[in-house]
Amino acid sequence: MTKELKFESPTFMQRIKGMLGVDFYRLFHTPLFYIFLCIAAIIPAMVSCLTMMPDANGNTMEPLYSNVWQIIAASEPLYVIRTIADYANMNMVFIFGGIMVSIFIGHDYKSGYVKQLFTTHAKKQGYMISKTLVCAFAMACMCITYFIGGTIGGLIAGYETTVNVGSLIIAILGKIIMSLGWASLYTLLNIIFRRYFGISIASSFFFGTGILIIGAAAVVENLSIPTGFLNIFLYGASVNACLVSNVGTLIICIVVSVAWTCLYNFLGTKILSRSDVY
Amino acid sequence: MNAVEIKNLSKNFGSKQAVCGLDMTVPMGAIYGFIGENGSGKSTTEKMICGLIPTSGGSIKLYGKDYTDEAVRSKIGVLIESPGCFPGLTVWDNMMIQAANLNIPDAEREVVKVLKTVRMEGAAGNKFKNCSLGMKQRVGIAMALLGNPTLLVLDEPLNGLDADGMRIMREVFLDVVSDGKRSIIVSSHLLGELQKVATHYGIIRHGKMICEMTADELDASCRTYVALKTGEMNRSKMLLGCKYSRVEEDEAGYIRVYDLITPEEIVSYLYENGICVTEIMTDKIGLEEYYIDLMKGGK
Repeated sequence: MTKELKFESPTFMQRIKGMLGVDFYRLFHTPLFYIFLCIAAIIPAMVSCLTMMPDANGNTMEPLYSNVWQIIAASEPLYVIRTIADYANMNMVFIFGGIMVSIFIGHDYKSGYVKQLFTTHAKKQGYMISKTLVCAFAMACMCITYFIGGTIGGLIAGYETTVNVGSLIIAILGKIIMSLGWASLYTLLNIIFRRYFGISIASSFFFGTGILIIGAAAVVENLSIPTGFLNIFLYGASVNACLVSNVGTLIICIVVSVAWTCLYNFLGTKILSRSDVY
Repeated sequence: MNAVEIKNLSKNFGSKQAVCGLDMTVPMGAIYGFIGENGSGKSTTEKMICGLIPTSGGSIKLYGKDYTDEAVRSKIGVLIESPGCFPGLTVWDNMMIQAANLNIPDAEREVVKVLKTVRMEGAAGNKFKNCSLGMKQRVGIAMALLGNPTLLVLDEPLNGLDADGMRIMREVFLDVVSDGKRSIIVSSHLLGELQKVATHYGIIRHGKMICEMTADELDASCRTYVALKTGEMNRSKMLLGCKYSRVEEDEAGYIRVYDLITPEEIVSYLYENGICVTEIMTDKIGLEEYYIDLMKGGK
């Protein structure tokens, strides 16, 4: 006697669970994630310490920072950068993260594994959600290792440690929350440029540096327009999470991050649904 | 109900029509040999069946449901172009990833089972990038088999397999369809191997299905021939060529006479001309020759 064939539609949760299972397994079983965690820890430590190292004549550079926590978040929202110190803070994680996401998603296509995924998962939404969540998790972890590396580096360099602890925690939380929005942006970019690995990485790097917003901020500043509206963008909200942050800053980060995530996921799903899988 | 039922399927890539008006029927329990030249539209059709590329027109039904139906799609096992494994991960990790993708509850047991099926249990710890071509193909098939799929879509699964690998694949294919419900679509250029297992055939050319038939129908339509060797091959070939409409020399050095004749008739004809036949037999052309004939328009 032959057995009857049964076809059961997976629920939304089953779909997401399957996709998350794949992505988390890959994340924890490949060196990529651990390498980027190390990079995120080493870079701030080096930036803090190197400026304190004497040159051949025994002279040291002018210290980039005066406070340990400035490598974590800027003293105030600085949309327009004037020195490297204005720029070099936890926002750099979003640049490293962009490259990591490009490699992570690029391997899906390069290996041909997307064929397995998209054969069994008719709906593409799960792919976008899963990639966004897993990459956001990876970037959040990088924020933590960045914090550890930056703190150790700052302490070694001998910067002062006074800080409003509440604002510092909000700034870190804000940047961790912004990881979600950045991850969704990078996922979208990598879906758009899925056939061109190099362009995927370049585009992630380009957007991650926040050049567009820095440029916009310069224009806005020259026009004497309040720069606060730049907070509606991912880079703006990320910069806004600084050492003078308050609960309002956190709310802005949550709203901006979630809103952009929804938009990018929607666009990514549409693009995936209409495009060929190679 | 058929496993796959395709009507008037088409796919355009810009101005290029890769598949045009293709009809295809894969019955339940069939091993469907999907044959065609390079660029004939086989892979494109298979990708459309799997939902990997959107169709430009026509319909695809899988077990009576539209091919976009999630329920039926979740029961497709696929090996198209590459096994879809991450090269830096081990075979085991790749299998576990696919098990996670399919939400298989007892993943480890299931992975061990399919690796045993394709005789790869000993190589589970090898990195995928270090596997040989044949091993990679086996892993690809093992991935396709995970989750007990209802429909297997395999594009060139026999490439790179050694004789033992081919035999294992034949056993796997026959086992999959043994319940009479599950089906396999397998495209391959190794027609001799395909003929050993296929129950149905579809031959595609320039994006169109030019012929669909069962293995029995193929057998019935394959021409018989008499193959022989004589002491004077060149003269024999010339004499037979004058008398019969199609006479060829095959790769093994036999003269083949394709007309509906008996060996006795040929032996006596050559004997009358002073030629002694040393070997003679009757046989049928295989799928490969049938296909070549069809492509030449010779059938």
